[in-house]
Amino acid sequence: MNCESVKKNAALFLYGELTIEEEQSFQDHVEACADCRRNFETEKRVQAALNRNEVDVDPALLVRSRRDLALRLEKAGTRRAGFGEWLRRLSDLRIAALARPAAALALVALGFFGARLTTSKPAQPLEVAGATEPAVMRVRYLEPGPSGRVHLVVDETRQRELSGTVNDDQIRRLLLAAARESSDAGLRAESMDVLKAEPTAGELRPVLLYALQHDSNPGVRLKALDALKPYGGEADVREALTRVLLADDNPGVRAQAIDLLVEHKGGMTAGVLQQVVQKENNSYVRLRCQRALEDMNASVGTF
Amino acid sequence: MNSEAAPAMNRPSPIDADEAALIRAAQQGDQQAFERLVHAYDRGVLQIAMNLLRSPEDAYDVYQEAFLRVFKNIRLFRLDSSFSTWLYRIVTNLCLDQMRKRKTRREESSVIQTEDGPRDRLDSVVEGRELGDPQRSLMSRQLRSRIEKVLGDLTDKERLVFELRHYQGMRLRAIGETLGTSEEAAKMCLFRATQKMRVALGDFV
Repeated sequence: MNCESVKKNAALFLYGELTIEEEQSFQDHVEACADCRRNFETEKRVQAALNRNEVDVDPALLVRSRRDLALRLEKAGTRRAGFGEWLRRLSDLRIAALARPAAALALVALGFFGARLTTSKPAQPLEVAGATEPAVMRVRYLEPGPSGRVHLVVDETRQRELSGTVNDDQIRRLLLAAARESSDAGLRAESMDVLKAEPTAGELRPVLLYALQHDSNPGVRLKALDALKPYGGEADVREALTRVLLADDNPGVRAQAIDLLVEHKGGMTAGVLQQVVQKENNSYVRLRCQRALEDMNASVGTF
Repeated sequence: MNSEAAPAMNRPSPIDADEAALIRAAQQGDQQAFERLVHAYDRGVLQIAMNLLRSPEDAYDVYQEAFLRVFKNIRLFRLDSSFSTWLYRIVTNLCLDQMRKRKTRREESSVIQTEDGPRDRLDSVVEGRELGDPQRSLMSRQLRSRIEKVLGDLTDKERLVFELRHYQGMRLRAIGETLGTSEEAAKMCLFRATQKMRVALGDFV
C-alpha cells in the first residue's frame, strides 16, 4: 500500500474489514512511514471519540417495550391460537367415522363454550395490581365442564421490587442467579456488570468462568471475559481462556481471550497460540495470534 | 496492532441450533419461544432505533412494529436464511421511513427526548472525570457537538451503515444483506462516512 491507500483504508483496518493480505500491507507501510503512523493514530482517536458518543438504551424503556409487546403478543396469540387449540383438542378425541355426527355436535358445543370464553374479556394475561397478587396469569390449559363451568390451569408470575446494594445478601444472591440462569442475555450481562463492581469475586468468579465457557450469547461471554480481567493471572482463568481460544465459535471472543492470555503470559501461552495459529480459520484472529507470538519472540509454527 | 478493532458482536450469523429450535417453536405458535427470540435481539433493536432517531418514543414504536411484523410473518421465515438479517432489515426500513418522514437528519440537534422530558445528550454523556474540569468538559461538549453535526450531515444510507458497523459491530457483508445492497456498496458508504468523520474531527481529537 502507498500513503494514499493507507489513508483511505485506515478506518476499514480498524473495523477489521480488510483481507489478511491488505492488513499485512497496511501494517508494513504504517510501520515504515512516520506520516501515516501519525494519521493512523488520529484515526484511532476519532474512533475512540465516536465510541463515547453512543446513546445508551434506558433500561426503563427496554422494560416498557418488552412489557407492552408481551401484552400485544398475548392478544394476537389468543386470537390466532384460539381456533387451532380447539382443533387440536378435537384431533385428540380420535373421532371414529361412526361418531362423526356426535363430533359435529361437540364442535358446535365447543364453539359455543369457546365463544363464551373468548368474547367477554381476553383471558390472558390478567394484569393484577398490588404486590401480593400475581402480576401476570397465563392460562396453560382449560377444560369446559358441565353447567357452563370451566377448569383452568394457570401459570402465575409474581412481581416484587427490591432495592439495595450488592453487599446485601439477598440482592447479591438474586444477581448471581440472574447472571447464571436468566433466559435474558441482557439481564445476564447487566448482572455481571453490577456484581463485578463489588468485591464479591469469590462467588462471582465461578459464575463468570461458567458463562465464559458455556453461555450461548457471545455478548455475555465477552462481558464475562471482561469481568475476569483482574484475575487473568489465575490458573483457573487461564485454563478457561485456553479452552475458549480453542473452542469458542465467536472470533470476537477468541480475539479478546488472546489479549488477556498474552497480558498475563505463562509458560504455556506460546504453545497454545501456536496451536491456535495452526487450526484458526479466521484471518483476523490468526493474525492477532501471529502478532502476539512475534511480540513474545516465539516462532509462529510448531516444530 | 489492530487491537482497537471492534469485535464482531451482534452480527448476523447463520442460525445456530438453539435459535433454529426457537424459530421452529415460534412458527408453531409457541409464544414463550418467540419472547426468547425477542429478548435475544431487542436491546440491539432499541439501540439502533435510539441512535438513529434520538427519541425513546420513536424507538419504542419501531420496537413494537418490528417485532409485531416478525410475529405475524414468522411462519413464512425460511430457516436457511439469517434471522437477524431479516429482523434488522425490518428495523432499518422502519427507521429509514421515520427519518424520511420527519427529516430528522436535517433537524437533528443534541437535544433528545427522554422518559423524563427533553435532555441535552451532550450534558448527559459528560464523563465523570470531566465533571471537575471545566476546560475538559467544554472540549468534550464541543467534540460531541461536532460529532452530532457530522452524523447529521451523513446521508441516510451512510448513517445506517455507520450505525450498524460501528455501534452494532455487524460485518459489512451482513450489512449489505440487511440493507439489500452489496458488500462493496456498504464498504463505500462506510468509507465515505468515516472520511467525513475524520475531516470533521481529525484536528479536534
